[in-house]
Amino acid sequence: MTAQQGTSAPLPPQPVSSGVLKWVIPCLIGGLVALALGLYGRLHHATGIAVNIAGFSSPGYVKSWLATGATFFAIVQVISALVMYGKIPRVTAPSWIGTLHRWSGRIAFILAVPVAIHCLYALGFQSYSTRVLIHSILGCAFFGAFTVKMLILPKQGLRSWVLPFWGAVVFLTLIGIWFTSAYWFFSTFGIHR
Amino acid sequence: MKRNTPLLTLLTGAALGVVLLIVNMVSYPNPAKSPTSYSAPVTSAPAASTAASSPAPAVATSAVASPTPAVTVTVPVAVNFAGKAQKGNAAVAVAIHGDKAIAYICNGPTVAAWFQGTVSNGKVDLAGKGNSHASLTFDTAGTMSGSVTVHDTQFPVSTLPMVHSPAGLYIFTGMAGGKMIKAGWIEMSNGTQIGSILINPDASAPTVIAAPLLNVASATATYDGTVLHATQISGISGSGF
Repeated sequence: MTAQQGTSAPLPPQPVSSGVLKWVIPCLIGGLVALALGLYGRLHHATGIAVNIAGFSSPGYVKSWLATGATFFAIVQVISALVMYGKIPRVTAPSWIGTLHRWSGRIAFILAVPVAIHCLYALGFQSYSTRVLIHSILGCAFFGAFTVKMLILPKQGLRSWVLPFWGAVVFLTLIGIWFTSAYWFFSTFGIHR
Repeated sequence: MKRNTPLLTLLTGAALGVVLLIVNMVSYPNPAKSPTSYSAPVTSAPAASTAASSPAPAVATSAVASPTPAVTVTVPVAVNFAGKAQKGNAAVAVAIHGDKAIAYICNGPTVAAWFQGTVSNGKVDLAGKGNSHASLTFDTAGTMSGSVTVHDTQFPVSTLPMVHSPAGLYIFTGMAGGKMIKAGWIEMSNGTQIGSILINPDASAPTVIAAPLLNVASATATYDGTVLHATQISGISGSGF
């Protein structure tokens, strides 16, 4: 995850075959997570209501603002990652960039969880419009992809494109989720609390 | 231990999700599985009624239980009900969004009436045109019961079930075939549909005719050569309120 990694402890002995297992098992687990969420959303009888945060005019607004918060921190994720990888010209990575990347990611994830639970419990996996279907699929895929990213993150000796790839998948899924939910919600009902 | 922080992040999120899910299951048990413990989607806090005059609030919230001081359980009132009345082959639909409610009753060729009202203390009181009114209460089983009165004819309503899109209430208001019409369709969860059209809906005694079948997937119906684009009245999304 950060540059200083790998100097502290010797590599644990790893059999050669773990090269494939390194990403196959995380991908399988991530796939199962996405599948489990989708099945729960589909099979659970949606209640229409769920626990929420007070102080907003409707659950839709709570979720839209939480999702917007998660998306904001996801954008911080992309920028901090680009800085870390030295992809922004004339910007050298400051020492705190790793911390910023980790914490913005954690905050984004934690903001997304209550939204997802509300979706799953109150609304379920639905397909009655294209927007709703895309949102349902991306919502499940996001947590699967995030699981993969978290599981492969500590692995050593990954090919250099693997983490950026999964980071991009997680980010783009979240952007898709935001456009099919919060963006739609704000543009339909207006921006307020 | 530094290597395990991503896993810790994942487990923290999962734990938060599980906790929220359990709180949900306790607070809002699945009405289909545990009818006796279902808590009617109604708020008892007096603060909820303040939303009546402001334009935007869609859902009444009340602090019922609070795991942490910042997070309270809100009781959003965002549901749709639809089903048959106990009389006259009529169907009734009720959409509840915040403390506002919209209801409709129709039987196809002879009865069609719209109602608007408010929700308070688990009771929905609605008024229609003329001497039409409706009064419904939430049952412990997550259904609604009461009666709908259209021009002195009373239609009893018993255990009207909660429905999910595409089931629910649809409306079209506008010109068709040179006439002003207000069409309403009730799509029930078993896929049956009853719809009526009010011709000249603002007249003191509008004509009622059966509505053409609404394609709920596209929300369209064809009446007198005109394609009607209906919109769903949904307490969940708030559309139509």
